[in-house]
Amino acid sequence: MSDLTLNPVLLNPSPVRTIAAKDIRDALRDRFILIVTGFLGLAALVALVTGAIALRGDVATYEAAKASLLALGKSADAIKAPEFYPLRLLRGAIEQIEIIGAAIAILIGYRSAASERGRQTLSLMLTRPMRRWQFVAGKALAGIGLLAGGLALVLGGLTLILHLLSGIGLGVDDLLRITIVWGVSVAYTACFFLVSFILSLHMKNPSHALLVAFAVWLTLVLVAPQIGDTLDPDNQVAGGVFKQLNIAKPDQVEIMKSFATFETVRDGIEQASVTKHFERFTFAVLGIKATYAGLPLGPILIEMLGNLIWIFLTSLGLGALALALPLNPDRLAKA
Amino acid sequence: MSDVTSPGWLIARQSARFVLRESTVALLSLMFVVLVLISAWLGWSATSTVNHIYLDAAAFLQSAGQPVPTNPVLDISPLSLMRNMSVYVALIGALSAIVIGNRLVGLDRKAGVLPLIGIRPLGRNAYAGGKIAALAGLILGLAAVASAVAVATFLVLPAVTLTGLQWAQLAGFMGVTTLYMGFFGLIGLAAGAAARSETVGLLLPVTLWLTLTFIFPQLTANLNPTAAINPISALAVPPDTTFFHWAARLLGPFSLADAYKFASAGLLDYLPPGITSPSFIPPVINLILAAGFALAIAWRALTRLSMAQGDYNV
Repeated sequence: MSDLTLNPVLLNPSPVRTIAAKDIRDALRDRFILIVTGFLGLAALVALVTGAIALRGDVATYEAAKASLLALGKSADAIKAPEFYPLRLLRGAIEQIEIIGAAIAILIGYRSAASERGRQTLSLMLTRPMRRWQFVAGKALAGIGLLAGGLALVLGGLTLILHLLSGIGLGVDDLLRITIVWGVSVAYTACFFLVSFILSLHMKNPSHALLVAFAVWLTLVLVAPQIGDTLDPDNQVAGGVFKQLNIAKPDQVEIMKSFATFETVRDGIEQASVTKHFERFTFAVLGIKATYAGLPLGPILIEMLGNLIWIFLTSLGLGALALALPLNPDRLAKA
Repeated sequence: MSDVTSPGWLIARQSARFVLRESTVALLSLMFVVLVLISAWLGWSATSTVNHIYLDAAAFLQSAGQPVPTNPVLDISPLSLMRNMSVYVALIGALSAIVIGNRLVGLDRKAGVLPLIGIRPLGRNAYAGGKIAALAGLILGLAAVASAVAVATFLVLPAVTLTGLQWAQLAGFMGVTTLYMGFFGLIGLAAGAAARSETVGLLLPVTLWLTLTFIFPQLTANLNPTAAINPISALAVPPDTTFFHWAARLLGPFSLADAYKFASAGLLDYLPPGITSPSFIPPVINLILAAGFALAIAWRALTRLSMAQGDYNV
């Protein structure tokens, strides 16, 4: 008979559910999740409101300039009206999820792994009739579930505020785009949760694991995209090098052909980070990047499929690693 | 008894040695040094690429019979090659300082040696002074490595020559960098001493750092988080609205990441004309005041630390 039939535990998923439910209850009871979700929500709200105020300022400036031109009997065509796509106001909030959301995921991963170690309860739990993968899967599901819930609250709240702030309301297409962004945000933050969870579960000292996870976060979220961004020649001169040299877009493309290797290296550094894939995908879906504004969702999703696959494969790969690595009970006592 | 064997000196020396043995401190410090080296390379590479683009563009414009503008690289001070260092100091430098500050007191608490120190013939002031001196020594060490990389870069690059004033500006930038890292180190020290748990002691200063780096610039200048980590994009003109005027007036003095960015841009000659810090207090003065405040709260937390309690409460 196979191992599967001999061990009813393998067929019974309840230990996974039990551990996940217990972890979620613990996390909600000590209010840690509520505090960090509140912090992310506050950061995202600040981004949304300041973006809306700045846009309102642009509109007022445009209206004043238009009125002056019309009063002088001139055409207002000479000045460009500010474009208004409500979802674009989510740019700052998406960047906050990209940075602070990933940091919060690291904290949740650390707490998920370190909590049993701190309370010395892990050895006790491992005496229960369950597989070690079930213990890991339960903890991981709880952590990712908490992230999903927190992000749903943040993005849901922002959507409501955006609906009321924008004055024109959000349609079904807009809501679908935000839902897709929520799903991808969960997968993206799950990557950082899993990095921290794996390190905290397997390193000798959990607080060292937390710092190593933050070093990974710094490298992937801040340093790699920053290097790519800094190496962009157009970011080296205030206003942009080509704008300062008065060179039109088609000629820019022609000139940049000589710098193909440089651009490949720059793009490669950016692409190495899952954060850049998250940014490219979400900016395209929400129309934050000008070239995607007003485009239907289907073609955007097809074009951005590579980024989507990268994000999901990273989180699935890390999830598989978390399940595959053997738990060493000697390592799981309080360090 | 000579000064070198005073209790404060012994605490400082022992604490610094203890912290330097920590693998995470070594990892973050190594990351800082590597990123400082990368920042020097980035500055050179990016400037050199813009120069090549200009040469290609000039040839293109000449062939098209159009006027050729001046090379933007010629308008850039050689000091601005180091502009990326300000970003890495604001990211990894500040985080390293927090971890060093936290570990300086956290290791004593976790090892349960406070009651042992408490029975020694030394006052709380000597303990606090020793810890702050150890922090100052370690932060100065990091700043010295960053300075050595910057000086070596300017000496090695053949086309770059700095005037006496520019060397002084570079020294000023390193001074401001030390102040900024010192602020976060002192906050890490204070939180490590005052917090009931080890994790909270680390998370409080990290949350403050996240708030100052990514949330305050949005309130004072509508600067998105990813723009805040680009040395050029971070120096944007705030929108001309009542909200941002008031936000700059009220929050500007507390927006230390802005103060550090503007102080660095001014000292390294890459501050675009007509752009000023959102605070009404000059950036360098702002950083000195903040470091003084952090010193006061670190002193208060350290001198009130219970020597009767061993490990963290939770």
